[in-house]
Amino acid sequence: MSQTNLIEVRDLSFARAERLIFDKLNISIRRGRVTAIMGPSGCGKTTLLRLIGGQLQPAQGQVCVFDEDLSKLSRDRLTSLRSRMGVLFQSGALFTDLDVFENVAFPLREHSSLSEDELRDQVLLQLEAVGLRGARHLMPSELSGGMSRRVALARAIAMGPELILYDEPFAGQDPIAMAVLQRLIRALNDQMQLTSVLVSHDVAEACAIADEVILLGRGNLLAQGAPEELLNSNDPMVRQFMHGHADGAIPFHFPAPDLMTELRTESGRNQARSSGVVEAVELN
Amino acid sequence: MAKKWLEISVGGLLVAGIAALLVLALQVSGSHLGGASGQYRLTALFDNAAGLSAKARVTLAGVTIGEVDQVSIDKQTLMARVDMSIDSAVDYLTLDSSASILTAGLLGEKYVGLSIGAEEEVLADGDMIEDTQSALVLEELIGQVLLNLGGD
Amino acid sequence: MMFNWLQKLGSRVLLRLSSLGAALVMLLQSLLVLPGPRGWQRLTQQLYVVGVQSFIIIFVSAGFIGMVLGLQGYTLLVDYGSEQAVGQMVALTLVRELAPVVAALLFAGRAGSALTAELGLMKATEQLASLEMFGVDPLHRIVAPRFIAGLISLPILVIIFNLVGVYGGHLVAVEWLGVHSGAYWGNMQAAVDFSDDVMNGLIKALVFATLVTWTALYQGYTCVPTSQGISEATTRTVVYSSLMILGFDFILTALMFGGL
Repeated sequence: MSQTNLIEVRDLSFARAERLIFDKLNISIRRGRVTAIMGPSGCGKTTLLRLIGGQLQPAQGQVCVFDEDLSKLSRDRLTSLRSRMGVLFQSGALFTDLDVFENVAFPLREHSSLSEDELRDQVLLQLEAVGLRGARHLMPSELSGGMSRRVALARAIAMGPELILYDEPFAGQDPIAMAVLQRLIRALNDQMQLTSVLVSHDVAEACAIADEVILLGRGNLLAQGAPEELLNSNDPMVRQFMHGHADGAIPFHFPAPDLMTELRTESGRNQARSSGVVEAVELN
Repeated sequence: MAKKWLEISVGGLLVAGIAALLVLALQVSGSHLGGASGQYRLTALFDNAAGLSAKARVTLAGVTIGEVDQVSIDKQTLMARVDMSIDSAVDYLTLDSSASILTAGLLGEKYVGLSIGAEEEVLADGDMIEDTQSALVLEELIGQVLLNLGGD
Repeated sequence: MMFNWLQKLGSRVLLRLSSLGAALVMLLQSLLVLPGPRGWQRLTQQLYVVGVQSFIIIFVSAGFIGMVLGLQGYTLLVDYGSEQAVGQMVALTLVRELAPVVAALLFAGRAGSALTAELGLMKATEQLASLEMFGVDPLHRIVAPRFIAGLISLPILVIIFNLVGVYGGHLVAVEWLGVHSGAYWGNMQAAVDFSDDVMNGLIKALVFATLVTWTALYQGYTCVPTSQGISEATTRTVVYSSLMILGFDFILTALMFGGL
């Protein structure tokens, strides 16, 4: 396997509830860079992240991380592999019964034998890196969304991982929090020589910090390349997503029979109904 | 402080549970700590011990002085054998004491009533009470009454 | 038509069986491991949530149920002149049936539903997935201490229920209605056997504790992680636990006290 690719996905197929989410997907993600995985909602971005984290098993194909095929690993090997990854979940996933300090200390308590003093220093350093050293006594319920994501980030980097996976880091954030997170992701990647993979559908924010963009759609890879390349692409589907057009190659309408025939049968069946109902049907 | 309170209350719950079990054993089910110590055993044979069961009271002049341990058939005599434990403080049951099976109220539970005789010597552990009077069986009683009425 | 119906029934039975199997696997996986270094601390924490926090509702209910039994028993028995047997009636009813069943039903409503909701929320907020990514098995860390806490708590609560109920009956029958106190306790002691009655009641409590806690944890762990999914799982916990408590109570009673 190559030195430059940290993650390789080969011929991956995955179905959920009889809906095929990936059909023979092939992607590779390079070491030391920020890679953004983008695509419309429901295209399986988060599922892909779970597959990379080894929390889901592919139906077919391979997911290789750190040159290891995840589906072939024993439980213990998977656990030790995971200690080299950090994950920032969409909701932050802070443990609600622990305060900020204990949340960040959690992976250290689990996997290292630091003394209480060393542990305290380590946690304070991580919190300082995300600018929340002063908030260490707060409970997760007292934090804003942006703050809990920053705490979760501090927790994710506490064990010094080589790879960080970000699940929708920008979703539902105000512009300031978004800028803070962008800066953190980029800075962490460069200072700690990490590899970062972020899943997002916020095109502008993701493109601003990504070295490479992977665009998913219809169960497969649509495009891969530098952000500028994709922004200037001539492919209609890539253009539509990157520039956010409402209608285009990916249609605005959910597949349905022709509107006029449906309206006729609808109104024919409900002649007694007022015209207002027909109007409502049309809006739907 | 919150942590201390948590641990104290959990400890309290466990202690309360154990204490409650102890009270249940002693007060509600009437078990005795240390088993047979402080008691001695007596036996009595009855023609009929209908309705008498283990744990029934043994009384002297209406005061509970012990309980029935076991009701079984004596193989030699084919009579009902009743083993009883008597409080060792009651050391004045004479050799000619008598035992009868009585009923508390019309429909109440059966118990053993002892009455003291005139002998000098007293019953000791393992002795047998010779003079017994059986349980009153309602059906037999009615049968006798009917028989007497028919004879008139 | 008929075939279709049969097919549906069959697939439903298979579905139920497979979820029963999954629940059993979950239980075994969570228990077949030694507790970690902070296992006692986690167990204490859960004993507080599951046991101590259910104490008040158990205490109050037991008091009222004992009082009702005292009152009903007295009015029933006084017609036969046997009102001194009220102690026996109160104690046997409580120890054999009402304490395990009512305490387990209350426990399902108070602690069971809370466990399901807690696990469901942990799932919805990705806390379980997050534990997994830190190399910590959520079955050992989250499910096991809660299950053991349930197993310890309910029997203790049932013992307390018994005692409080008996004193509730004493309050009504002896203090208010004038049954002789010696007769109340004496009849009770003559009728209640420690190993046959009290212990069998506690075995029931242990069985119910297993059923309720297991159901609650399985429903929470496997629920659909949305607000609707969590609320449905919570409802299922209470409904399934209650039905199982009553069904198993009949089976256990038949086994323990015979009559069938």
